[in-house]
Amino acid sequence: MARVKTEKTRKIPITMKEMKKQSFLMIVSFCMVVYGIIFYYWPLTGWIMAFQNYKPKKGLLGSKFVGLDKFRFLFEDDVFIKVIRNTFAMGVINLVSTTIMAVLFAIILNEVRRTWIKKPIQTISYLPHFLSWIVVTGILHVSLSPTGIVNDVLMRMGFIKQAINFFAHPKYFWWIVAFANCWKETGFNAIIYFAAITGIDPSLYEAASIDGADRLQKIRYITLPGIKPTFLILLLMNVGNVLNAGFEVQYLLGNGLVQSVSQTIDIYVLKWGISQNDYSLGTAAGLFKSVVSILLIVLANGLAKRYSEERLF
Amino acid sequence: MKLKKITALLLSSALMVSMLAGCGGAAEAPAPADTAPADTTEAADSGDDAAAADTAEASESTGDVKEFTMFITMPGSEINDDNEIAQMIADKWGVKVKETWLTGQTASEATGTLIAGGEYPDFIDSDEMNLLVDADALVPLDDYIDKYPEFRDEWFTPEEWDKFRQPDGHIYWINPFGNTMGETKQTTHNDEAFWIQVRVLEWAGYPKIETMDQYFDLLERYIAENPTMEDGTENMAYTILCEDWRYFCLENAGQFLAGYPNDGSVIVNKSNMTIEDYNTSEDTIQYFKKLNEEYNKGFVDPESFTQTYDEYIAKLSTGRVLGMVDQWWDFAYTVNDVFKQTGLDLKGCNYVPLGLTTKEGMENRWHTYDDTVNQASGIAITTDCEDPEAAFKFIVDCAMDQELHDLRWWGVKDVDYNVDDNGLYYRTDEQRQNWADTSYQAAHRCQYSYFPQWHGTSRDGKNANKPEEQPSEFMNDMAKPLKDCFDAYGITTYPQMIGSVQETNGPWFPMYSYSNNFTTETPGGVAWAKMGECKHEWLPKVVMAKDFDKGWGEYMDAYEACKPEDFLAEMQEILDTFK
Repeated sequence: MARVKTEKTRKIPITMKEMKKQSFLMIVSFCMVVYGIIFYYWPLTGWIMAFQNYKPKKGLLGSKFVGLDKFRFLFEDDVFIKVIRNTFAMGVINLVSTTIMAVLFAIILNEVRRTWIKKPIQTISYLPHFLSWIVVTGILHVSLSPTGIVNDVLMRMGFIKQAINFFAHPKYFWWIVAFANCWKETGFNAIIYFAAITGIDPSLYEAASIDGADRLQKIRYITLPGIKPTFLILLLMNVGNVLNAGFEVQYLLGNGLVQSVSQTIDIYVLKWGISQNDYSLGTAAGLFKSVVSILLIVLANGLAKRYSEERLF
Repeated sequence: MKLKKITALLLSSALMVSMLAGCGGAAEAPAPADTAPADTTEAADSGDDAAAADTAEASESTGDVKEFTMFITMPGSEINDDNEIAQMIADKWGVKVKETWLTGQTASEATGTLIAGGEYPDFIDSDEMNLLVDADALVPLDDYIDKYPEFRDEWFTPEEWDKFRQPDGHIYWINPFGNTMGETKQTTHNDEAFWIQVRVLEWAGYPKIETMDQYFDLLERYIAENPTMEDGTENMAYTILCEDWRYFCLENAGQFLAGYPNDGSVIVNKSNMTIEDYNTSEDTIQYFKKLNEEYNKGFVDPESFTQTYDEYIAKLSTGRVLGMVDQWWDFAYTVNDVFKQTGLDLKGCNYVPLGLTTKEGMENRWHTYDDTVNQASGIAITTDCEDPEAAFKFIVDCAMDQELHDLRWWGVKDVDYNVDDNGLYYRTDEQRQNWADTSYQAAHRCQYSYFPQWHGTSRDGKNANKPEEQPSEFMNDMAKPLKDCFDAYGITTYPQMIGSVQETNGPWFPMYSYSNNFTTETPGGVAWAKMGECKHEWLPKVVMAKDFDKGWGEYMDAYEACKPEDFLAEMQEILDTFK
């Protein structure tokens, strides 16, 4: 406690001399602040739209203020309630499944001893990350169609008698999206865990071997605790991203039949904001999403702070 | 102190979130409302930039040719930059237009994106014109129109021009389609219908098909006897296109089956001038009941409700689909060209329209004989156009200069068509093949298909304005099975095949041109948007339902919740202005 106090009293007073001394740092950080203001905070002035009946002709200053009318419309709209549910559900499913897959993949890959096998697998596994969603959804659309490879295999193996049209049933949709996310991102997300595993002190493994630990025990008692900090930080960062459950996948894979489970907030914003030209309503929906995201990340950070050392801020 | 801490926390978290959103953007999704439009705009912008770059490059080489850009909210094929006919037009009329088409987005999304970005192409043809007017994006055309009195008087009547007048009294766009010059030469049924392949009719001995029951009965019998095509491809009885706005292929057949014309969003009962809702009518229920029955019997394509437009066209192009509901312009140009290229037209894969109704002996109004003036859309000049004078002159030239019109629709004389001793245009088989070939089209053909154009007879008094309307061309272009079919029914054109009643439509026709312009400003507009969403989801469900009555009941509950009465009341108000 005493040490903390002394640190506080050692705070450097802001003087012209001190500023001159740190002028380079000042300039660099000033640039970053300006960048942040221009690209992150200035666009937020557009949030005013959410409280207006915005018309492009009249602009931000000329449009009429309507208070919370747009929000009232949002929360009276059954569709929007469903949209929130979909976004949360898909966000959580995606977060859980991609994280588990990435950790598993990194651990398994780490157990491969031969570099000439390991390296190519690693490279190949993260290639899908660089495919655009339109390509991935195209592949999915073809392979999951009633005449596609998945139905073909299932029928030949006798699991089903009739081809299933996967995109016509709401019950499959979330899982298809989760699968698509896993397929695309597992390899890429695993890189960071893989790096974390590589950073674990090899002497720990050697010591464990001497103590007679087998492979599973080494994973259980060394690898997993070793990547725990990375895991928690990534989880924290991603919690704020839960509402970014996706736009392209759902937009490209969705159709009329599954729209009640496929629409996310982003699609809703596009549908009402851009297509119906109700920018105010779109902004209101987007604003709601941002606020919830901030709350989520603060909450998650608080929890992490309480139960372990890792935290974002 | 505490406040400061909280502020710092909030600010840094906001920064964090927006940074994350920025990082994840490429792979995940652009998140908050403010970044979403920005991202899409970027895409549109880069497209525009590319177009602009092309423009700049080309104009350097050609000197005083005016280069314009145009965006059309319909999918289409871009022509090559060095397209031959486009170059001829540029040389003679001094204008070159770089057309870009809708890709990926829906029409309203594309328009909304342009407005959000605030940068426009020189010409635009959108389904959402009123949004562009709201955004002050269009140049009023009144003065320009008055500068060309000949064009003004020939293109539309004063009443028709008035239909285009917006609430502020200006005219902002001109519909380029559906005008007939001189004697009508209508040969195609450029409307909606139940289509059927001629090979099915031939197999059945060219029967008279009047109702949906007869139609599906025929398809079922044909499939039972001919499960596959000659090459072993499986035949498919019936498919439905259901993607985005094209779901009219599923949605609006009820109005036609009841014998009404294509008002699109509602039925107009002429006897007492009231608006009626076809979504809940008996005929529509019967129609969906029949579809449901056929679906459960396995005669409707199970991919119907999940296929995209491209997949649908690809499916039709294989020649295996026996029938569907669609608009001629939505499939025929592409699919018929493919049939011609692959020889499937000789196997009887061409489609002919049937004018089905709920009961036998009813009058049908599938075909629209009059010129349909859809005042909801057309070609417009935007405020970003630097030389609206020249731009408008080119619109006029397209409509008024026969030489230019021939070049666009017939091609180059002695290359794409020949002229016989009587001055009639004709084409050889090779010329017809070329004209239907996609790579030839990109390199040579330039129709500027969203600029004004005429149907009917050319100014020379002999030829048709468009090749497909030239009687000799039309007959020669037909493959044998199609011709046999026409002969068997004793007809010479598609409209005769469908046999609709000839009558003049009311001045309100088509009502869809009003509902297309509804915005969410009014309760009716909100209802209209919600009804669309609801029907998109429920109509396929109803067709796929195991128990039709139960499915229909659930659909009706969802439909009533959209408050269709608000929409109908506003449509009635519009109709009342014509009383």
